[in-house]
This record gives sequence, structure tokens and C-alpha cells, in this order.
Amino acid sequence: MSVNITINGIAVTGNDGDTILKIASENGIEIPTLCHHESVKLYGACGLCVVEAQGVGKLLRACSTVATDGMVINTESERVIKARKIALELLMSDHEGDCKGPCTLECPAGTDCQGYVKQIALGNDREAVRIIKDKLPLPASIGRVCPHPCETACRRGLVEQPISIAYLKAFAADNDMKSDDPFRPEMDEKTGKTVAIIGGGPAGLSAAYYLAVKGHSITVYDAMPKMGGMLRYGIPEYRLPKKVLDAEIAQIAELGVDMRNNVKIGRDISFDEIRSSHDAVLIAIGAWNSMATRCKGEELDGVYGGIDFLREVSLGERHEIGENVAIVGGGNTAMDACRTAVRLGAKNVYVIYRRTQAEMPAEEIEIKEAKEEGVVFKFLTNPAEIIGENGKVKAVKLQIMELGEPDASGRRSPVPVEDEFETIEVDAVIAAIGQRVNPTGFESVELNQRGIIKADAASFKTNIEGVFAAGDAVNNGAGIAIAAIAEANKAALAIDGYLHGIDISYRPEYVSRRVVSEKDFADREKIARQEMPHRSAEDRRRDFAEINLGFTDEQARNEAKRCLECGCHDYAQCSLIRHANRYPIAPDRLSGAKHTCEVEQKLVCIERNQGKCILCGLCVRTCEEVAKKGILGLVGRGFPTVVKPEFNNPETIRGCADCLKCVEVCPTGSLKIIKK
Amino acid sequence: MKIVIGQGSCGIAAGAAKVYKALEGINTGAFELGSTGCIGMCFLEPIADIYDGDVLVKRLVHVDEKDAERIAKAVCENDLDSISDLFITDDDASFLSQQTRIALRHCGIIDPTKLEDYTAIDGYRALKKALCEMTPEEVIDEIKTSGLAGRGGAGFPTWFKWNAARQSVGDRKFMICNADEGDPGAFMDRAVIESDPHTLIEGMLIGAYAIGASEAIVYVRAEYPLAIINLKRAIEQARENNLLGENILGTGFSCEMRIKAGAGAFVCGEETALIESLEGKRGMPRLKPPFPAQKGYNQYPSNINNVETFANVAWIILNGGEKFAQMGTPDSKGTKVFALTGKIKKGGLVEIPMGMTLREVIFDIGGGIRDDAEFKAVQMGGPSGGCIPADKLDTIIDYKALGATGAIMGSGGMVVMDQTTCMVDVARFFLDFTAKESCGKCVHCRLGTKRMLEILERIVAGEGKEGDIELLEELCEGIKDGALCGLGQTAPNPVLTTIRYFRNEYEAHIKEKKCPAKACASLLRYSIDADKCIGCTACAKKCPVAAISGSVKQTHSIDAQKCIRCGQCASVCRFGAVTVC
Amino acid sequence: MSCDCKNVNSDLSLIEETLQKYASDEGNLITILQNAQEIYGYLPVDVIYHVAERVGVSPARVMGVATFYAQFSLKPIGKYLVMLCQGTACHVNGSERILRAISEELGIADGETTDDGLFTIKCVACLGCCSLSPVMMINDDTYGSLTPEKAVSIVRALKAKEA
Repeated sequence: MSVNITINGIAVTGNDGDTILKIASENGIEIPTLCHHESVKLYGACGLCVVEAQGVGKLLRACSTVATDGMVINTESERVIKARKIALELLMSDHEGDCKGPCTLECPAGTDCQGYVKQIALGNDREAVRIIKDKLPLPASIGRVCPHPCETACRRGLVEQPISIAYLKAFAADNDMKSDDPFRPEMDEKTGKTVAIIGGGPAGLSAAYYLAVKGHSITVYDAMPKMGGMLRYGIPEYRLPKKVLDAEIAQIAELGVDMRNNVKIGRDISFDEIRSSHDAVLIAIGAWNSMATRCKGEELDGVYGGIDFLREVSLGERHEIGENVAIVGGGNTAMDACRTAVRLGAKNVYVIYRRTQAEMPAEEIEIKEAKEEGVVFKFLTNPAEIIGENGKVKAVKLQIMELGEPDASGRRSPVPVEDEFETIEVDAVIAAIGQRVNPTGFESVELNQRGIIKADAASFKTNIEGVFAAGDAVNNGAGIAIAAIAEANKAALAIDGYLHGIDISYRPEYVSRRVVSEKDFADREKIARQEMPHRSAEDRRRDFAEINLGFTDEQARNEAKRCLECGCHDYAQCSLIRHANRYPIAPDRLSGAKHTCEVEQKLVCIERNQGKCILCGLCVRTCEEVAKKGILGLVGRGFPTVVKPEFNNPETIRGCADCLKCVEVCPTGSLKIIKK
Repeated sequence: MKIVIGQGSCGIAAGAAKVYKALEGINTGAFELGSTGCIGMCFLEPIADIYDGDVLVKRLVHVDEKDAERIAKAVCENDLDSISDLFITDDDASFLSQQTRIALRHCGIIDPTKLEDYTAIDGYRALKKALCEMTPEEVIDEIKTSGLAGRGGAGFPTWFKWNAARQSVGDRKFMICNADEGDPGAFMDRAVIESDPHTLIEGMLIGAYAIGASEAIVYVRAEYPLAIINLKRAIEQARENNLLGENILGTGFSCEMRIKAGAGAFVCGEETALIESLEGKRGMPRLKPPFPAQKGYNQYPSNINNVETFANVAWIILNGGEKFAQMGTPDSKGTKVFALTGKIKKGGLVEIPMGMTLREVIFDIGGGIRDDAEFKAVQMGGPSGGCIPADKLDTIIDYKALGATGAIMGSGGMVVMDQTTCMVDVARFFLDFTAKESCGKCVHCRLGTKRMLEILERIVAGEGKEGDIELLEELCEGIKDGALCGLGQTAPNPVLTTIRYFRNEYEAHIKEKKCPAKACASLLRYSIDADKCIGCTACAKKCPVAAISGSVKQTHSIDAQKCIRCGQCASVCRFGAVTVC
Repeated sequence: MSCDCKNVNSDLSLIEETLQKYASDEGNLITILQNAQEIYGYLPVDVIYHVAERVGVSPARVMGVATFYAQFSLKPIGKYLVMLCQGTACHVNGSERILRAISEELGIADGETTDDGLFTIKCVACLGCCSLSPVMMINDDTYGSLTPEKAVSIVRALKAKEA
């Protein structure tokens, strides 16, 4: 006997006595459930499998409702989604755990830091690179220059110091490149589609990598003589040696990416021509114009833009800058500029910054190393006028500042101290105060009010069909390289979708995260962070050779072993988070009492984390019905209910035959195998 | 003459046992002394009835053990006028005369410890009639004619369940009585078991015969010790008299009966949870289907009815379903028992025909609000029910009509509230109850009720946020749709009805941080009225946290920072100088 | 559930009669535990294990039942079990103030037992004496129409009796 029913408008057939859930799943329609498993009796706890049946007032639990002939089922009606959403929000409101480590969550590109750090700890550098390249195709370069928000977020910082994640990444990538068999991604079959990527910087190169992997034919057009964009022309050699960058770019070229340099849009080729000759276009032109100081005398000879100065040095067009140099700004570009000036032989290099060191956006290590190299920091000063002589810079008059009230960003804004000035003699003034997008040649592309290319924040579509944009040139303007790469990855997904006729928009995934403090790690052994070996200040200020000498093997492995492994071991298999991301849930509004993240290890080789348990009862039922042991049980009633292994009788705990069946059925990361 | 003391739990709590003992101590055989169960006039307890033969001569109320001697004297000397101060007033007597009693027909009249009292009225005649003169199908038909619906709350037609169990095939079948009366504010089942246990036994046996069950189980709350004692005794009596056991009354029908004491879990009032509990497990509801009629206790076909439902059965069989169906409304037949409590003048058990209005029950039978305060709402159906406001007082007692208000008929709790009751706090109270009683199995109930409770707790603590009402409503909808059993599905009702009828009270708590009923301590501000304070220092002496300062004959003042809002100053002030806002 | 089984050494013979009668059917588990609680005053862990063994179910099953129902206590309870009714009628008529007064008088919160082992306070579901609300029950005696003062004086009288 068979039953014929309709699910979501599709006529399907099942056997007499089959449940709606069974028939749906046999026909490829997924109805989410967390407490149902074929091997144990029906339970009906999670309430996720509810569906709506025509003519039935109540929602039905698909796991237990036997289908009857002619039933018309909707598995995703508005009411069903509402009920599931509430169920998932409720579950998440009492799910105490970290889906992913804060390192991964804070990385704009979402690189699986915990995953690759673990592989490095185990000595598997190639595997580490495979994990990294899932999100970031330039690990040796980015590992050297990234301001590493991952490390800022790293919880090891609550113990003593964060893991040296960025350098570990560079370490693994260097090793992999040196090896006989460097990692190479598996390529999808050729699709026959072509994509033009305009701009060969970190964003353009990343998009090229991921779209090439997807089987599309990629051409990267770049106005400069070589690929790499700001990584090449904005970051000095002593931080990122060109040979490292070259090697990584070569790896991308090896995937069949066509790289064309010295092609400037609007000069060598029109944008329309590029658009019409490719199936899709990604604009990743970056932000290459320096912002002006807007103070008197900025037209004088000897006043340079920060990135312009760095680019000239990189191109080998400039070999000197004068004896006395003032750099205006407090960001990483300012640090690159001042330290480059030192290396060009300047004797007195000043950094003019209107706030104090505490407010400087530049990385601490950069400031420290600049100081070591003799750079003089003039905090709480701002150029009032650049004084010239015969059209050339002679001095800069500085307005003395003090810190006032905090501004919208929370930083205390500097205010001038009336009538207090200082003048310093300089030969050059380098203004490293920001970058601007230069959209020349892209006249048909819509810009926002700030003159930046406008692209949808989720789909990266511009106003032109088939044209996408990402990176520094888009929406929010210039940021750090990894943020541009992150956008490029998402744009690549959107483009891949577009080429297959699917509309893909990026939606931030929901993850569960814990709020922790030092106290949570008070019992951890303190192990100091490995210092990156580097050249002495005296030595390095003389040339452009790389400052960092790289970790030794032992240093890297030891450093990697410090990882606290905050992210859940079960993230990839977790049914809870998978279902939670099916619907736009907002569990925070339901926040309240939670089961705490108590970790127990009562059973011989299984670790239990109460905080992650959702009381689906699968472990209890499996232990009783499948393993026939009954070692696990529910204790208490209502909200305080917990799953307990044998509370205190070692004999019964030994009765656990380590069949691990409970771990297999656990839909979350509450149960973990600790040894086998 | 015979003096009969009402010794139900309420009566005993009010001192009935002491009165009995005192009378027993002075009785030299000059009068007969007897006991009965609960007459349902709790507000008059302890009650002593004076009988001449079978005729009730006088009902004495609020009797005290100190009155024993003069009562005995009055009875012996046939001079009842000497104790006229103890006579029930006509007004109070009308509490009973306005009722129609079927389920409670013997309560407070017969001695529940004596089978002969029961058989002397009409006891076990219905059983005899069913077994000897009717087929099981005819019994079910009679119940169908009567329109009797489940009195436990859901109001499902009794005949339908019986029929389903009858149709179900099984080697063994079970007739189960749900006497796990857990609704806070309802005690009619206890009264029936304590006061008239044989009615329950007889009703169950008739039902067992109808569905073909040979085993019957009564699941009683452990908190009802007297009910268990009386029922146990009654079962033994029935067994000794061949009213129970093998070949009952020689008809060939056999049925055993036993008591299972619950262990304290409200959710066991849900039939599948009750079955789990009977099986010695955690009382967690099962998925339905299969329904108990198909696979119930130990997987055998089982039927579960509430005490009050069974209490109607013998009457229906004796008097005919037709007569029962003549009472009530087209949708709801017969009578319903209510436990009328709260801020009511005459609290107790009320049995009335369906179709009477709430106003009639509360004001005519119940005598209105205590201290003549203003009626605010009546809570019906306990944690699964809702609060019905003043402008709905003319709602008739009928499953549909009550359902339309957002409340439910429920098992019969009827808690009256006046202006001093905060409706947000009432919602919090019920959610606190359901959250504690949630079995924890399904997500919507375990976490949903917990989260709702947390939100309500913060509202009454003055920490409510804009959007909390809407969030509560959203949770309510989700829980109604997603919870596994009736407890969870109906848990939102107290919140939904109070939001529906008293939204302004929620808003006052959230936006103005004020409790209009002046019930939520965190939101109260105590101060001293300088015009009224004479500086007696009484409040300052009483204050447990020394928050009141002022010297003798000087106006006192309260330090709001120190004040813990216990209200003791207000209660101790003889001049009404302590004001609360 | 912290391990305190080493500290308990209950006289298991006391429960033998109950087990003889009921242990053959696991459906009687609740009845057995009710008897055990009657005998021992609470459910000692070693008794739970013993019951599990005799009934033939896992201790987790027994523990699950013992922690599900409000009637069972895994800790010894006082000589006087003060049960405060939390029914609707009692709530509306001020049961919270009664709880506060008694808690203050005894220095313990709901669910706790005084150090001398005399009193345990337990908030319970409706006792069914709604018309006498607020109500409390101390062992088998019911006290109705309470005020905080009346409740405290009842407790004080018991204290005095024990002194």
C-alpha cells in the first residue's frame, strides 16, 4: 500500500505508515529536526519538524505524524517558519558555547585560524595552507603585513599574550612554498565563462583565485607594471619582500589566470570594451590617491602624498628624500613612510600626529620599531602651515593640540591650544592621512556621495548588469588588505552565482558565542608568546631587507600549541547551527539564564559540556535503547534539567563500553571524544 | 438527634476535628455524633449539622470547640434557640440553594467512611442497572445522550473517548481516573474523593464495563492524604461487598481497582504524562498519536477521565442522559463544579448548571467581592486559563463562550480578583508555576516559559523594556504552536489574556515604572504625610532597616534609598499617614 | 549531583519489605521511592542504588524519577516540614508575605533546612484549601487564614516545644 501526498506543491508517494518526515526526506525535502533519529523511539522534543497540513488547525510534528492519503503539506509556511524560528532562538538562548573562535570571527575574511594553527602545531604546514587558502590565497604576504584583528581578539590574551597567528600563517606558507609539493587547490571543471578583474591588488588577486578554482576563465587587468597592488606599491620591502609576493602571485598565475599589466582603463582600453568582452566584471581598483593636508603651502615642492611616496620608492623612482622629513598622520602608512624615509638616509624624521600615541591607529609594533629606528614622534601637533622658500618646502609650522571630549568613534578629539605653535625645519612633508578612490575611466559606474564606487553590500552588484565591485574602491573606502580580500571572496561567490544564473547575496551567519573574562582562564598555565626573531634597529635602518627573520620550526610549533581551541570541535557537523542559519534568528532578545559551560569527564573517553546540551535526549535514549546500558539519564525537571552520566558510582561508569554511540547521535558539540 | 460535623480537609483546617473531639468527649450517649465530608461552604467552616432522623433541622456555622458544651446541651434539651447565634443565616444558606448538585450530590451529606450511607441513598444502583440491564454500547449511548464532556479542562466528549477505547483491540484494557488535581486554585476533585469516594468507584466501574476494562487505576495527588485514606477504605468496602473484583454482583463482569499516589508533578495531569508516571517513569508527555485509547498504560488501550466526569456517570445512568442534557446550553450540557476563591465573600464549592453567567456565580452565589471592593477580574482554568475582566462578567459558563474570552472552562478554578491584584503579577505567578512544572522535554515549554517568566519578572521589578509586550506576544504564539503537550500549549493563556484586557497595566509597569494595583513591591514608593503624622514613632520602631527617621512628636520621613518596601510602616500606622504610590 | 555516597550508610533492611512487595514490577518505582522516603525521611544515594539494583533498572533511571517529582528529596528534611501553599488563591491573598515572614523567622529560604534539622521550608503547589487562603501545612496539620504574625507564632510555638 502506498500513500500519495503533496509536499510544498510536489506530489510524492510513500509507504503506508510512513511519517511525513520520512516521505519528505526520501524525496529530498529536508525538514529540520534535532531530536529524531531512526535508531531510537519517537520523542518529539525539539519541535523543529513542525509542518502545516491543509485543513488541520494545529501544526503537526513531521517526525511522528503518519501521512494519510491526500495530505497537503507545507514544510516552510510562514507559520511553520515562525514556530521554528522561536524554537531555534529559544535553543540558542540556552546554548552556551563558541561555534567559532574569536580569531576566526574577528578576521574579516573568516579564516579558520584555530584550524590552521592546530595543523601547524601538529607539523602539517601543507594542511594548514589548505585551510588558509580556503579564504585567503596570499598567506605568506598577508601573514607578514596583516594588522591581525585575530590576535587582538585571541583569548590567549586573557591568559598572557595572544597567539602569534599572523606570523604562524606566514611561517606555514613559506614552508609550503619551499616544499616539493606546494598546496594547489583542486580546480572545478571549466565553465567556459570569462571574468575580467580590474585591479591586481589583494582583492583582485583573491577574486581571481576563487573564480579560477570555480572553473571560470579569468583575466586580471592592472595599470601598474606588476601585480600586487598596494601590497607591492604601498608596503615597503622590509615588511614584505617582493620575492615573497612574486611567488604567491605566480601560484595564482599557475592556475591559468591571465595577468595583464600596464593596462589602464580609459587610457589603454575602455571600460565598455572590457564589459562587453567578458561574462562578468569585478572592479577592484583600490584607492590610490593620497588625501591632501588642506593646509597652507601644500602645493610646495617637497610635499608628497604618503602612498605616492611609497609607490615611487617601490618603483625605484626615488632614492632620496632629504635630511629632515616630516610625516603627517598616525596610521600604518605613516609608519611605512617614516621608516622608508629613514632607510633613504633622512637624518631627522618626524611623525606629526594630532592626538597621542594611545589614539594612534598604527600597530604598536610599527610604532615601537619606528622609534627604535630613530623616528621622532611629535604627538599633539598638527601642521598649520607649510612654509616654503623659492617654491620649496623649508619648514612646517605646527599647531599645538590638546585632547578634548570623545567624538562619535569614542576617540578623544584633538583641539588646538590657542596661540601655541612650533616650527620645525624640514626638506619634505609627507602627508599620510588617507587614500581616495580615483574612478577615472569608470564614468558609467555609479558612485556614492563620497565619490566611492557604489556596490550592494551583500551582492556586490554595481548599477551595471554583470559588473561587481569590491575592496578599497567600494562603499566604505580604504581599509586593511584582509578586509578587501574578504569582500573579494564574497563578491567571487556572488559572481560565480551570477554566472550560473543564481542570485547570491552574502548573509552574515549566526554563531553562538560566549562572553568570557580572565577569570575563566585563571587555571591555565602561563606560556609566553614566541618573539619573532628580527634584525637589530641599527642594522635594519640601513637597508630595505626584511626585518623579521621568521620563526624556527620549534618556535612555530610551540607557539601554535598555545592555542586554547575556543571554537567548537563539532562546528562543521553541528545540526543546531546548521538549522539556526536556515532562518534569520535573533536569540539575543531572549537572553536569560543559561546552563553553564561545565565540562565533565565522567565517562571513560567522552567529555560532556552541559552548556552546549540542548536536551534533545538522543544520548540518553541511545544509551538506553541502542547500547542497552542506561548509563545516561535526565536529572531534574523543567529548565534546570540536565543530562547526567552516572553521578558518582565508578563501577557503573566503567559499564560504559565506550561504544561512543551517544557521541555519534549528539546533534551539537556537547559530547566530545577525548581519546580512543 | 444527631450532630454531624463536616470533616473535609478545609473543615479540619478550620478546626472541625477539634470540635468533633470536644463533642465526643462530652457525649455520654445522649446524642448521636457523626461525620460527613465537605459541603462546599468553606467560608462557614467548621460546620455542624443537626439532624432529626434523616431531616436536617439546623445548620450551625463557624462552630468552635468552645461551643461544644452548649451545642450538646441545646441538642439534648431540644433547645436549639439557645445556640441561635450559630445558626446559618438565610443569606449564607442561599449559597447552597442556588446550586444544582449532581457531581457533589452526596458531599457533605453522607458519611464517606460508610458504604451503607452511600447505598442508602441510591449507591451502586446505577452500576447494577448498567451491568444487568444495559450492554456496554447502551451505556456509551446513554453517556452520548447526556452530552457529558471531560471535566478536567479540555471538555472532550466522554462517550467518544469511551467508544474509541471500546473499539480498540487489546488483551487488557485500563480505566484510569485522573485525580492529580494540580490546578492551583481548584479542589473539587479532592472534595468528591474525600466526601463521596463510592461515587467515583461506581462511575469508574460503569466506564470500565463500557470500554471492556478489567482493571482500574486512580492516580491521586500525594498532597491529598485524606482523599487517599477515604478512597482506599471505600475500595476495600466495595471489594468486600462484591462491588469490585471478580464477578461483580454475580454479573460475570470483573474489574480490579487500585490507587496510585502521584508524587508531585502538575504535568502528570496531562494524560500521556500520567501514563508515564503510572509506569514508574518521569512524567514526560508522549507524542500523540498513538492516543491512550490505542496505546496507553503499558501499551494497552486505556481511557482516562477526570474525577468530576466520573462523579456524573452514576447519576446519568440512573436518571437518564436526557435529563442531564436538559441542563446547560446547546454546547455544554449538565452542571459544572467550581472552586470559588480569592477575593470573594463566600468562597467554596459551587455546582451550577452550564449557562449561568459569571456574574450570577460570583455575585449571587458568591456574595460579591470581599470588603465590598471593586471586582477586577476572575481567573478561570488556572495556568492554562486566563483572566476575564469586569466587562465580560455576563459571559455564560459554556465551553465555547469562555473560550472566546481567551480563558477556558478548565477544571473549575475560579479565583476572583479585586483592584489590589496586579494583573502583570498574576501572569508572572502563573508563568512561574508553569515554568517550575514544565517537564523540560520540549523546547518551547522548557525554554519558552522560562523566558516569558524572565521577561515578566523584569517587568514587575520595574526593569521592563519597550517591546517586551510584543516579545511576550510573539513568544506566546510560538509556544502555542510548538509545545508538545497541553501544559505548554496553554501556558501562554494567562499572559495573553492579561495583555488583551489589561495592556495598560503592562504599559504602566514598563513605561511609567508604576504598578497601578500597588502590588509590585519594587515599584512602590512609601512616604509619610506630614499633615497626618503625629510623630508617634511607631513606624520608625517597626521599620526593619531603620529607613524611617524623626523624633517624638515630629513628622517622620522615609529614606527611599534604604526602604525595602515591606509595608510594615503602613500597617503599623494608626493615623493613615504612610502613603504608598 | 555531588558524590556523597561514601558518607551515607543507610540501613537497607528497612526497605526490604517494600522491595519484596513491589520490586518485581518497575512500574512500581514511584511507590517504592515514596515508601523509601517515608522510611528514611529522604532518598539517600545508597538507597537509590539499592532500589535500582533490585528493580533491575539503571541508577540513572531511578535518579531521573527521584529528581522529577517534587515529593522526593535527596537531602534530609527537617522534623517539621513547613509546606507553604503557592496556589492562586493563596497568592492573591498574600502568601508571599507569609513565606517572607517564616523565612526570616527560621533564617532559611524555600527548600532549605535549619541547621538544627528541625524545620524545612517547602513551597508547594495548591493544597486545595483555597477558601482558607493563605494556607500552610506543617507535617499533617493545616493552618489557614494566615497573617505573617500568625504564621510566625505557629512556628515559634513549635520551636518552643522542641527547646
